[in-house]
This record gives sequence, C-alpha cells and structure tokens, in this order.
Amino acid sequence: MSYSTFNQTVSNPLLEPMFFGNSVNVARYDQQKHAVFEKLIEKQLSFFWRPEEIDVSRDRVDFQSLTDSEKHIFISNLKYQTLLDSVQGRSPNIALLPIVSIPELETWIETWSFSETIHSRSYTHILRNLFTDPSEVFEDIVINTEIQKRATDISRYYDDLIFYTQLWQTHGEGDVEVLGEKHSVTLRELKKKLFLCINSVNALEAVRFYVSFACTFAFAERDLMEGNSKIIRLIARDENLHLSSTQQIINLWQYGHDDPEMREIAEELREDALEIFMSAVEQEKKWAHYLFQHGSMIGLNEEILCQYVEYIANMRMQAIGFDAPFKQRSNPLPWMNKYLVSDNVQVAPQEAEISSYLVGQIDNEVSAADLGGFEL
Amino acid sequence: MATTFKVIVNGQHQLAVDPSQGTLLEAIEAAGIESHFHCRNGFCGACRTVLLEGQVSYINEPLAFIRPGDCLPCCCVPASDLNIEHR
Ligand code: FES
Ligand SMILES: [Fe+2]
Ligand SMILES: [Fe+2]
Repeated sequence: MSYSTFNQTVSNPLLEPMFFGNSVNVARYDQQKHAVFEKLIEKQLSFFWRPEEIDVSRDRVDFQSLTDSEKHIFISNLKYQTLLDSVQGRSPNIALLPIVSIPELETWIETWSFSETIHSRSYTHILRNLFTDPSEVFEDIVINTEIQKRATDISRYYDDLIFYTQLWQTHGEGDVEVLGEKHSVTLRELKKKLFLCINSVNALEAVRFYVSFACTFAFAERDLMEGNSKIIRLIARDENLHLSSTQQIINLWQYGHDDPEMREIAEELREDALEIFMSAVEQEKKWAHYLFQHGSMIGLNEEILCQYVEYIANMRMQAIGFDAPFKQRSNPLPWMNKYLVSDNVQVAPQEAEISSYLVGQIDNEVSAADLGGFEL
Repeated sequence: MATTFKVIVNGQHQLAVDPSQGTLLEAIEAAGIESHFHCRNGFCGACRTVLLEGQVSYINEPLAFIRPGDCLPCCCVPASDLNIEHR
C-alpha cells in the first residue's frame, strides 16, 4: 500500500471514499463526489489576507498601559494560539494527504493548512511589534507546562494516525516490530485512528480558540489592542470555515454518505468522540483559570468565560449529533458575535451595520488630540 | 401582494414573516428573541435551528452540513408556515 504521488491505477474518483481508497492521481474538479469541499476552497480563497496589511503599531502603546495581569492574559493567549496554529499549519497535510482519496478534499486539506500558516505568521507580526526581541515569548511555548498539557492532547491523535499510516504504507497489514515494540496494523484500526483524529481536530477548532478570542475581543471592547483584534477577527472567520469542514466529514460518515465502514466506526467510537470533546472543554476551562490566576480583566472573569465555553460547546456538539451537555443555553457574551460575523457578506442591512460599527471602532477613533504627542 | 408565513419560535412566540423582507434569523431578531449566530453567511453552523414543521428555502447556498430536521436561519427564509426551536 505504499503511497504514490501519481497513482497509475485507473479509478473513478466519484466512487472513492474520502479516505483510504485509491490515492488521488489527477487533480480534477470537473466532477466531484463531495462538491462542498470545493466550495470551502473557494470561500477560503475569497477570505485571503496577509498579516502585513494590518497595522498593529498602536497596540504597542496600548500594551504598555495594560496591568501585569492583563499582559499575562494577552501574551499567554498568543502563546497558546501560536501552538495551535503551529500544529494546524502542518498536521492536516502530513496526516491526511497520504490517505485522502478524492481530489476536492485533497485540495481543501492543502488550502486549509495553508491558511493556518498565515495565522502563524500573523502572531510573529503582532509580537515583533510589541517586543524588540520576541524570542522569549516563542521559546516559552515549548517549556510552559500549561501549554504543554494542551499540546500533548492536540498532537497525539495526529501523531498516532501518522505513525500507523507509515507502518501500513511500508509494511501493509499485519504485525510489525519497530524499535522492539510490536504493532498490529489493520485497515480497520487505521480508520478508527482517523475517526478519532478528525474528532480531535474538530474539537480543537470548535472550542479551543474561543477563550483567547473572547479575551482579545474584550480588549477591543475597551478600544485596546485593536490591531491585534482585527487580525484575530480574520483568524476567527477562517477557523469557523475549517470547523465546517470537519463537521462535514464527521456527518458524511455518520449519515453513511461515504465509506460504510466509517459509519460503523462512528457508531462504535461515539463515546470516545464524546470524551475527546468533553476533555477539550475541560482543558479550556482550566486555561481560563490559568489566565486569570493573577487577576481578571474588565468585562471578563473566569466564571463568565467558562459559561461561554459551555455555550459554544453545546452548539458545536449538536452540530455533530451529540445532545447539548451543558445548561448554558444563552450567550453570556453577546458582544462576541459582532466580531464573529463574516465580513464577506452580501446585502442584509444588519450586517452592514455591524461591520461599520467595527470599522468605526478600529479606524476612526484617532483624534488630533490622540496624536498630539507624536512627532510626524 | 407579499405572502406572510406564520412562524412559531420556541413554542412561545408567534411571528408573521414576509420572506421578501430578510432572513429567518433577522425575523427572529426583529421579534426580540435571543438569536444565535456567528458568520451570518451559512458556513459556521452557529445559527443551527430545529425545524419541527414546515419548509424553508435557502437564499444563499449554505456550506455547513445541515442535519435532517435542522435549518440555518442566517441564510434561509420561510417557504411555508414554520414551527422552529432556536435555542
Ligand atoms: S450564522 Fe453561521 S451558518 Fe448561520
Ligand atoms: Fe488557525
Ligand atoms: Fe483552523
């Protein structure tokens, strides 16, 4: 089952499953098994942005005015997001490209991962502006124990899938010994690892970003760190799209619109998928606790942030067929929504109103008095 | 003559909705009911609503997966009288 970059087997991509069929040969989109993935590609491309286009220079002044606990909140969130996007900028490619078997999904995976690399570059853009030498911040990401705990959970499902795929593609099914350890490889087991991996990525993009998003937008509500907030709005819009793709994959499996074996596995591993989601929610709540350990910030505290995580989790879990596990049915942070509205809109006066409010907040609030101290 | 449809929300609000006047989500908001949304553009799924009775029609093609029995009010309008749960 070794991987070929151009599989010469004649196959009909319309009959291939999303994963573990014949690997893709011709990158063609004239006919599609799951057309939604090409629509996601188009949407993602229409969202294209570059960090350098966003002026973050005012944030440096704002940052100096933050309290120490607020600085801790701001920097810790950036570290956590840097971790998440470091993982996401490579893992969908490394884990999923070797096993994907329809062209539109293959290209979506590449487009998705690429957009994550823009997120990663934007954190450097933000940090370079705040610190003459941001290396201390980056170096802490690998050694900070709070971040490490999360990194383990985020990367292990990917790593497991990647390792077993390598065994399968080099040795085929059966028992294989690697460095003194015996592994039994079957396609069924591999599919289970894929199912858990997709569920873990889904949970990541569904809830793991939202504690930091909330902090960013709470600063923006106070007219602080608005360059950063502008960038995070663009990231949040991308993330909602990525999330949509893993929700699609999970639902296509559950409803038997793809590989019938994946439908069985989705039923068999339902509890495990639930567990993955619930532990992501727990970790986010602990993250909120860590952020606010030295004091909270205006507009936010640990309790309300945990309620928001529950509110978001309910919504995300129902999207993949779970019952809403939390009582929090109303949105405890209603102002969040105006930052999460996609700007790429057509019509609807309400939307125009919302985005002009934001534009005004970010661009027009500089008066001559604000600039009084600057030599131009 | 504009057609209006009767829309029951959460079993307690009754709205008269003219589909030419905006999305189902906007109608929910105009009635002062707490709305749930992020993108307002059919891809994030945050506005997911249970469609207990009736049909909707999509004015923009949604990219989020619509599970049977659900609808996405940010990008649809009523196509008949509706009974929905938007919580
Ligand atoms: S608000 Fe995003 S799909 Fe409706
Ligand atoms: Fe990202
Ligand atoms: Fe993402």
